[in-house]
Amino acid sequence: MARIGVFICHCGTNIASVVDVEKVAQAAKSMPGVAFATDYKYMCSEPGQAMIKQAIEEHHLDRIVIGSCSPRMHELTFRKMLKATNVNPYMLEIANLREQCAWVHTDRAKATEKAINLVRMSVAKVGNNKPLHTSMIPITKKALVIGGGIAGIQAALDIADCGFDVTIVEKEPSIGGHMVMLDKTFPTMDCSACISTPKMVDAGAHPNITLKTYCEVESVSGYIGNFEVTIKEKTKFVNHDLCTGCGLCQTKCPTKVISEFNQGMSKRPAIYIPFAQAVPSKPVIDENACLKLTKDKCGICEKICPLGAINYKDEVRYTKEQFGAIVVATGYELADWKKMYPEYGGGRYEDVITGLQFERLVNASGPTEGHIVRPSDGKEPKDVVIVKCVGSRDPKKGKSYCSRACCMYSAKHAHQILDKIPGSRVYIFYMDVRTPGKGYEEFYDNTRRDGAQYIRGRVSKIYKEDDKLIVKGEDSLLGRPVTVEADMVILATAMEPAPKIEEVVQKLGISMDKDKWIQEAHPKLRPVETQSAGIFLCGTCQGPKDIPDTVAQASAAAAKVAAILCHDEMETSPMISSVDQTKCSGCGFCVPTCPYKAISLVEVPGRDGNRKVTKKVAQVNEGLCQGCGCCNAACRTGCIDLKGFTNDQILKEVDALCL
Amino acid sequence: MSIKKDNNWEPRILAFCCNWCTYTGADLAGLNRMKYPENVRVIRVPCSSKVNPQFVLRAFQKGADGVLVCGCHPGDCHYSTGNYFTRRRFMLLQRLLEYNGIDPKRFQAKWISGSEAAKFRDTVAEVSAQIKALGPNNKFVGAHYDNTVMEKEAEGGKD
Amino acid sequence: MAELSEAMVQDLIRAEAKKALQTGEVSCVIGWTATRFEDRTKPYFAQTPEECDMLIWNRYCINGTAKFALDDRYPDKKFGIIARGCDTRAINRMIHDKQLKRENLYIIGVVCDGKENPVCRQCAHKTPLVCDVMIGEPVQDVIPESRFQEIEAFEKLSPDERYAYWAKQYDKCIHCYACRNACPACNCIECYADQYRVGWQGKAADREQNQIYGLTRAYHVGDRCIECGECERVCPMHLPIMRQTRKMLKDINDLFGPYECGLSEEETTALGEFKTADPDEFM
Repeated sequence: MARIGVFICHCGTNIASVVDVEKVAQAAKSMPGVAFATDYKYMCSEPGQAMIKQAIEEHHLDRIVIGSCSPRMHELTFRKMLKATNVNPYMLEIANLREQCAWVHTDRAKATEKAINLVRMSVAKVGNNKPLHTSMIPITKKALVIGGGIAGIQAALDIADCGFDVTIVEKEPSIGGHMVMLDKTFPTMDCSACISTPKMVDAGAHPNITLKTYCEVESVSGYIGNFEVTIKEKTKFVNHDLCTGCGLCQTKCPTKVISEFNQGMSKRPAIYIPFAQAVPSKPVIDENACLKLTKDKCGICEKICPLGAINYKDEVRYTKEQFGAIVVATGYELADWKKMYPEYGGGRYEDVITGLQFERLVNASGPTEGHIVRPSDGKEPKDVVIVKCVGSRDPKKGKSYCSRACCMYSAKHAHQILDKIPGSRVYIFYMDVRTPGKGYEEFYDNTRRDGAQYIRGRVSKIYKEDDKLIVKGEDSLLGRPVTVEADMVILATAMEPAPKIEEVVQKLGISMDKDKWIQEAHPKLRPVETQSAGIFLCGTCQGPKDIPDTVAQASAAAAKVAAILCHDEMETSPMISSVDQTKCSGCGFCVPTCPYKAISLVEVPGRDGNRKVTKKVAQVNEGLCQGCGCCNAACRTGCIDLKGFTNDQILKEVDALCL
Repeated sequence: MSIKKDNNWEPRILAFCCNWCTYTGADLAGLNRMKYPENVRVIRVPCSSKVNPQFVLRAFQKGADGVLVCGCHPGDCHYSTGNYFTRRRFMLLQRLLEYNGIDPKRFQAKWISGSEAAKFRDTVAEVSAQIKALGPNNKFVGAHYDNTVMEKEAEGGKD
Repeated sequence: MAELSEAMVQDLIRAEAKKALQTGEVSCVIGWTATRFEDRTKPYFAQTPEECDMLIWNRYCINGTAKFALDDRYPDKKFGIIARGCDTRAINRMIHDKQLKRENLYIIGVVCDGKENPVCRQCAHKTPLVCDVMIGEPVQDVIPESRFQEIEAFEKLSPDERYAYWAKQYDKCIHCYACRNACPACNCIECYADQYRVGWQGKAADREQNQIYGLTRAYHVGDRCIECGECERVCPMHLPIMRQTRKMLKDINDLFGPYECGLSEEETTALGEFKTADPDEFM
């Protein structure tokens, strides 16, 4: 028989002024199972808690009901208090007599009646509480960072500096991401490579960081502290253990294909290191371009390599590794404007380029060694048009969101053109100029002072006439059409999530928003966490942002990871679902209702009559379950039940309420 | 035994509230000292999707006059998708109950976020007024709770 | 090809059943056999090739054959089942609910033209949906317009009339669980109603408990009902049980789009999934 103690708090006068607390305590004495009931001025205070502890001793109580403020306020306080007693901290129910009774009612008699009813419900529920125990799960002190752009590099460096092992998985042959392609960064005009390549080198040389370039995440299982990740290593055809990165093979390769790194504005060999400062600075063979691999001819690189590092028979390799936490930093891609905007030429005009292509053009290590020239004829452009919001803020043709970085890089492009080409003119078509950042507005002001012409309006058409690109648009401030004869047009195209984001999201069991950016757990208070515990995000995989924000998020995610990895084991909430496998039919209807993929069907030995058989039943992964109880209502048998909120407890509450 | 018709009859209304949104909203209503009728009792659940339709049947069986299921707005669920299941489950249950003769006002579901204290107050007041107008529920109620049955027995019986 | 007569179908059934038993592939073939009444048949388990001659096929073969397969959830050999369209839907139901394995079944499908069973008037799938051999010419699947007519008519009554109707039905109910035992969707190993200690369901056969049982069962099978009518066929009190489950199907149809169960073993159930764009009445 349960021995329940009921403790009614006055909360000073907060509860006592409306509810007759003595009457409530008196009424509680006659409720089934109640061995002791009393009221007190402040239950949460030191003497209040001491009184409860004393009553537990004196009356041999085994479960407690406290009639006080909201359980959201002091449930944890009282659970902590019970830890020092013989009563299990989960043998506690709180009747909310303040927020949901005294504070919202004025009629003393009715409020008291309701309070008695609320206490009765809690007494009925606590009678069916079972002692629960938190369990400890061990933590693998190693983090996985998916994506080796500036976000991934920063997160990895910060985690590694805390003393934890980090693995970066990068799908390209080198880490660096988009930042290393850029020329200068606004608003300070630092050379992008000069500030990002040292970080790349640090990441490559850090004793705690393992780089897995040209690799992808194949599958993920497990839960916080214990993820098991299968990493797929794509075929490099070059043994990086032997290769020293001398680069001889690159110079002799006869095949030339378009360079992804230079945004299609130069060529690279089939065996290539994507760019000079690549980390690791070792080549891979492009299997779609290599003559040996496609036509079984050539084979020059193998002959020329002094170390015998070339291996045409390389195979895809899979490795399994354990991680305690995962950071997603998969970044962005520029949206393909060619399909969205046929009126801008749809890619027919070579001199209509994207902002990222311009970055390569103006970059000293780019295809033109930093000379701004037209891709079509190599002439220096005099009149340049920059079109902003190409695909952004355009729900009809592109994306509804703002890509955030374009206003600033367009201003920077204008500044660079005006600076490098004497006598040049720059026209910027814009919808709004958004410069929310430190020093951003000043930079924009300077660009205008440099002579950049800002025209408020959209461009309706770009076509070629002789040597010139005719840009037709509207100046919406003057309310009249504008035509600019330009030598070159730069489009500030929208950012969109990296192409295979759906796969990554699906493998990790996290969610995306309507634009396929990864969904954070809470937009304001948990901005670098995902819905799944132990999986964090940073950088542009969460939404468009510039480098300072990306780096800040990366460090934030790293701090979150370190906060997990610094423990040897972690406590899990015991209020999770569990399956009574003797009753379970194994129908699996609970499985799809779980937002955390915590339920799986497993085979267990069972009996059918007097035969031994293997039964399929549901099983809850305790590390993944967050205790929502959604599966409970999907189970017809009622064999999957949430501890602390069991069906039985709630039915008893319902019964008590209707008494 | 007979039960007299009580003019001060107060309905018994049960509200299942999810811990993260509606329960917080109800707490906020208290914090703001908003006033609403006393006849609503809240049962706290982690998520509205924990509420088994059988709980609702049980409440009517035991004599509840109205049942309310409240949770986060779709898309805002603390557990990301729980309330989408809630929505399907209770749209169907509401229709099934109506089909079996229960006034749809007696069983309602509402999305109330943690900040919508006023919506919680208004919902409770509205549901309470609606059910007061409908009078006591005698459908699905076990015979020993059924006032009309008891009255009939009293009329025909001795005393 | 000319339509097969009843006798021809019966011969084909016997021949297929014999073949299956002779190869030793199946332990038995579940079908129907005659009783001493001309207008009654009963389920029959043919276990030897000779016994196959006991199998019959006529318009009184109304018992469902599929659920018997659940009597042995872990069979050593395959079950042979003579299955009409409704039986194959039941098989799909139980495979989807992971209570049967397709590889444990040998299905002799028979195209059915309706039996002496009122539910057959609303049959949409006369052709077996899944089978190893098929007897008869497949016919077009047509969902009869009358599928929800009865429900719609009943919805027009006043709430009190509806309640009074159901109260009367549940007063008649003797709480025997025959509907559950016959229903292919009721395939839990331990029914909620048998768990008295949890207290979902009282034992008494009174209106109160019968109502709870009726509604709970309707809700449990409502989104998985294959409309075979076994519940009504077996009910000793002739209660209109499908009127509850069909109501659920009708609402699912109205709210979430066309919905039929048991058409394949892969389908998802209405309450096992959601769409963010589902109608929302709870704003």
